[in-house]
Amino acid sequence: MSTATIGNRFELTSQQKLMIFILSMSLYGISNMITELLPQFRVGPVELKVEYFIFIPLLFAILFNPLYAALGACVGELVFGELLLGQFGGVSELEKFIEFSLAIFVAGMLVTDPRNKRQLAIAAYVAIGIDQLLGTIVDIAKVYIGIEDLEAVPGLPESILAIEGFSFLNAMIVSGTLFSLLPIIYLVPRLYGKVEPLLGMKPRDGRAKVSVAGFVTPRFIIVAILLFVVAGAAEFLSESDLELFTWEWEMDLGNIGLWLSLAVAVVIFIATLLIIRKKRKTNHKGETIV
Amino acid sequence: MTHPMTEKQPIIEIKDISFRYPGAEYESLQHVNLTINKGDFIAIIGSNGSGKSTLCKCFNGLIPTYYAGDLEGSVMINGLSTQSTSIAELSKHVAYVFQDFENQLVRPTVYDEVCFAPLNFGYEDYKERGMNALRMLEIEDIQHKWIWQLSGGQKHMTALAAALSLEPDIIIVDEPVAQLDPAHARLIYEKLKLLNEKYNKTIIVIEHHTEYIADYCTNVMLMEAGGKVRWIKPVKEGLSSVDELASLHIQPPQVTQAFHSLREKIVPTTQTMYPITIKEAALALQQSALPYTKPRHVAIEEQYKQSEEHSDRPVLLKFDNVVSGYQSMDRNQKPTLQNINLEMHEGQRIALIGNNGAGKSTLLRLIAGIRKPWEGSVTVCGKNTSQTSPEQLSDLVSFIFQNPEEMFISDNIRADIEFFLKARKQTNIEPFIDHIMDTFNLTELQQRDGRLLSGGQQRRATLAIGMAMKPTIMLLDEPTASLDIASRREMTRLFDELRDHVKAIVVATHDMQLVADWATRVIVMHEGRIIMDTNSRDVFQHEHILKLAALIPPQIVELSHYANITPPCLSVAEFITHIESIIPQEVYSGVN
Amino acid sequence: MELTKTTYKTSFLEKLSVERIKVELLRTAYGHSLTFLSKFDPRILIAWYSFFAIVPWFVHNKVVLLGMLVAIAVLTYTSKPSILVLLILALGLVSDAAYMLVVSLLFGGGLSAAWALSTLTLKLLVIALASIAVFSSMDPEKLSDGLLSLGFPAQFSFGVAYGYRMLPILIEEYNNILYSYRLRGRGPERKGFLGWRVILYTGKLSVVAFYPLILNTAKRTRTTVEALEVKGFTYAMKDPKVKKIKLSYLKILPRDYVFLAISAVYVSLLFYVGSHYHL
Repeated sequence: MSTATIGNRFELTSQQKLMIFILSMSLYGISNMITELLPQFRVGPVELKVEYFIFIPLLFAILFNPLYAALGACVGELVFGELLLGQFGGVSELEKFIEFSLAIFVAGMLVTDPRNKRQLAIAAYVAIGIDQLLGTIVDIAKVYIGIEDLEAVPGLPESILAIEGFSFLNAMIVSGTLFSLLPIIYLVPRLYGKVEPLLGMKPRDGRAKVSVAGFVTPRFIIVAILLFVVAGAAEFLSESDLELFTWEWEMDLGNIGLWLSLAVAVVIFIATLLIIRKKRKTNHKGETIV
Repeated sequence: MTHPMTEKQPIIEIKDISFRYPGAEYESLQHVNLTINKGDFIAIIGSNGSGKSTLCKCFNGLIPTYYAGDLEGSVMINGLSTQSTSIAELSKHVAYVFQDFENQLVRPTVYDEVCFAPLNFGYEDYKERGMNALRMLEIEDIQHKWIWQLSGGQKHMTALAAALSLEPDIIIVDEPVAQLDPAHARLIYEKLKLLNEKYNKTIIVIEHHTEYIADYCTNVMLMEAGGKVRWIKPVKEGLSSVDELASLHIQPPQVTQAFHSLREKIVPTTQTMYPITIKEAALALQQSALPYTKPRHVAIEEQYKQSEEHSDRPVLLKFDNVVSGYQSMDRNQKPTLQNINLEMHEGQRIALIGNNGAGKSTLLRLIAGIRKPWEGSVTVCGKNTSQTSPEQLSDLVSFIFQNPEEMFISDNIRADIEFFLKARKQTNIEPFIDHIMDTFNLTELQQRDGRLLSGGQQRRATLAIGMAMKPTIMLLDEPTASLDIASRREMTRLFDELRDHVKAIVVATHDMQLVADWATRVIVMHEGRIIMDTNSRDVFQHEHILKLAALIPPQIVELSHYANITPPCLSVAEFITHIESIIPQEVYSGVN
Repeated sequence: MELTKTTYKTSFLEKLSVERIKVELLRTAYGHSLTFLSKFDPRILIAWYSFFAIVPWFVHNKVVLLGMLVAIAVLTYTSKPSILVLLILALGLVSDAAYMLVVSLLFGGGLSAAWALSTLTLKLLVIALASIAVFSSMDPEKLSDGLLSLGFPAQFSFGVAYGYRMLPILIEEYNNILYSYRLRGRGPERKGFLGWRVILYTGKLSVVAFYPLILNTAKRTRTTVEALEVKGFTYAMKDPKVKKIKLSYLKILPRDYVFLAISAVYVSLLFYVGSHYHL
């Protein structure tokens, strides 16, 4: 973390960044846990479920600092919403992590004046829009990649398209309005100037100065892109296996496919072990933590 | 003290410091000069807003490193200047237990918490250091507990242990008694005394409760409004300045007050020092050779009558074989209340006492309808709570939470107070709200957020919220916790204000002073059962019951026990009247 | 008023008793009294988990998947997960699959679509149970240390520990704030169609209650960060020596290798069987 330099109008100290991180993490984490549990109790139509309380990290992104609010929220979701509920989804969590933090970060950067309702409204829809759009694109793309092989499964490609499209629209209209726009419009002006003194800060003045260079190092970007590719690839494969499966079924080439996949599995497994070993060694050498 | 007393060695030296928080209009500390010596056990007293916490934050470097305000002057800790030393480095010399110590615990378990700081400082033997801290406080037995399993007292102890793990020479504890029940508070002080005497630590406490200061501290420092230090004196001398302390809204120990009032009668007028502990007071009484064994003919009948008088009035509340509780971790149902049978009548002022976990809060929640009985029934003004929603019950019952901050749900306290009436779409409420604002002395503060008020103001605001609901029954959970003495007194006065509007008040409390001064009926709970249901005078005669319930009676009651005054005096005024009544004429004139 | 005595039925808010959830969640988080899996090194478990989180995606043979499912189901059982977690999982999987099936039928899908979806559901089940088996039996300290040693930033592992610490407090506080609203507010008089008024009331409260919670948490966080500063955490984050000392207790023991070996043999066996039998 970079420490504050004198001269900038709104720059936070490392402690303040930690505060925002912790605040965003705990609150979004709790909200995530609540929303994860809500639908179970509501026997409403499936399409009216509560997606998430996206307004919470967005609030902090607008009021304080987009980067630390976004990162805190993602960690909070992982810890409270996934790990604690035993719902850790493995690789696909990474995809979610990147989409969500990007959405919050960009939306938070858009706001220059927390008192400006128009900006708030735009940010509210941009946040949920980016997040949902990225998710939908990935979901739909992976079906379209293998559409020819999907011939054997009539109805499925269309249904996935329809479901994804519908859930995107639903998320934008229902969640976007109820859990992003309205709470943001209601809460930001109320909290602005009121929550800052509780944290020992001055209210944000103008656009947040985010020392992107301090955190988003080339290494970070590369790792992020790689993770996104891996996450995407995993999803593609997971979807395309539906097609592979039917293809096998008809051509009866099951054996080869089977051993191929075992080989892939073993390679991944060994690679993971190697990474652990390597990490341990580098730790002994005393490499710094990110 | 057991350690050899060599010549006094200064450990904290402050030269002419003044401090102003960023953006503040006035200075929180003004030209403070002081020296604290190694091995001192010093208490800082002073009314709210006199800069006590601010001063202590100068000791551990949070000021000026963390709070970037304007600091003038110099602070030297163990020979280090706080301005040029990092907070982390200073924490090897100064341990700080915050007033809201819960928030300073950041790890899941006790063991983890106490090892955290030594680990962060890169000590290879961090585990040993953590264990050492636990051993110093003799709390190794809780090391494997999760923080959330601990009682308030254990959490406080853990916070202290975590601070001790870096082996600092100075320990600062901010208002230990405020958040704890009396038995735990005493325990904390016992541990601090141990640290002071056995390990030669310098201890600084911020404290409102002068009884504890009298029992444990060696010196006392008085701060006054505007962040000035008026004096530092040895405890006995400091606490005997009864008039001076009273003018600053600080109450000296009850025995000291009593002897101060009786100064012309049983102690020579030339004496300027009074007893400050019960033992000293008992001794002084003995020396005064008063015939104090003479039984005291208080109108006991009158007392009983008072509580019985109400039992023929209409029943407001009825518990019928109630069982309730929580689900425990192993998914078994764990009852926290068992076989409760209880009736409460109009006009009663009920104090619910008992140790933590005795079931007091559960009982209150059952009345408010936010918890339903597993078995039996709770009837509030003829309504069975199992068939009534909390929203409906709130027309009859108002429940004041222990933590005021959980009740501030609107933009400002006026909006909070109006919330109930507005939700019911009542019109023309302005005059009524204004009246409440006025009664609770909140008019000046009405546009502020509750969270930014002082402890006493917060309590007043929550009482006002309750009043604005025009309830039949009012429930209060620990209404005097974390209040200074002046605010406590004010609360008792406001309770009297409520009496005209509310038909019954139930207070769950550890504050024995409140029980003695205010309650007409006392219900003692222990392990989910009612073990005694009596009046406030009678309850103090049952020492074993008080012990079970982890309660410590007011000093004056204990002194009555020592002096064989039965029934015991409940207040200083009663004690003075009693003593005056028994002073033989010749002694009286003789001393005079 | 006295004549029209309406019986009161527990509302959504009561069913969603935060207290109940608290108990269940705490069990997931804390209730890992020595289970079978908790004996192993966290890094081994994470590696083991990543195998079962990734590989099923590439496997198309139901025999293999079912074989994995059996083994993982047994391990899940030994780690005594909470019913709530399993319930949420089951509901999620069933409703997702059913939804996709229904929609695909609209588009003219049939048995083949159902068949394809059943494989997908099977995979999701294996992956989800693997995560439950591993993460519900790993204690918070070990888990975050395992992640730290795998190169996650110190903030993340701090976040995990802090999450476990704060969870009960935050839920409690949220619960109390909800009660504050309810004890002063007014619920809907009528339920409305499908209880929409109640749903709206519940939904509104659950959002609005965050306003006081944000302010309270902000106040709390300030002390916490002060404490972290005093405890040297902000410095330790940048100090590799601290990480080394902290993680020095993590050791991979022979039993870890045995566990891996048995898993490997079992999986190979599955693939062998799978190559001869199809489903």
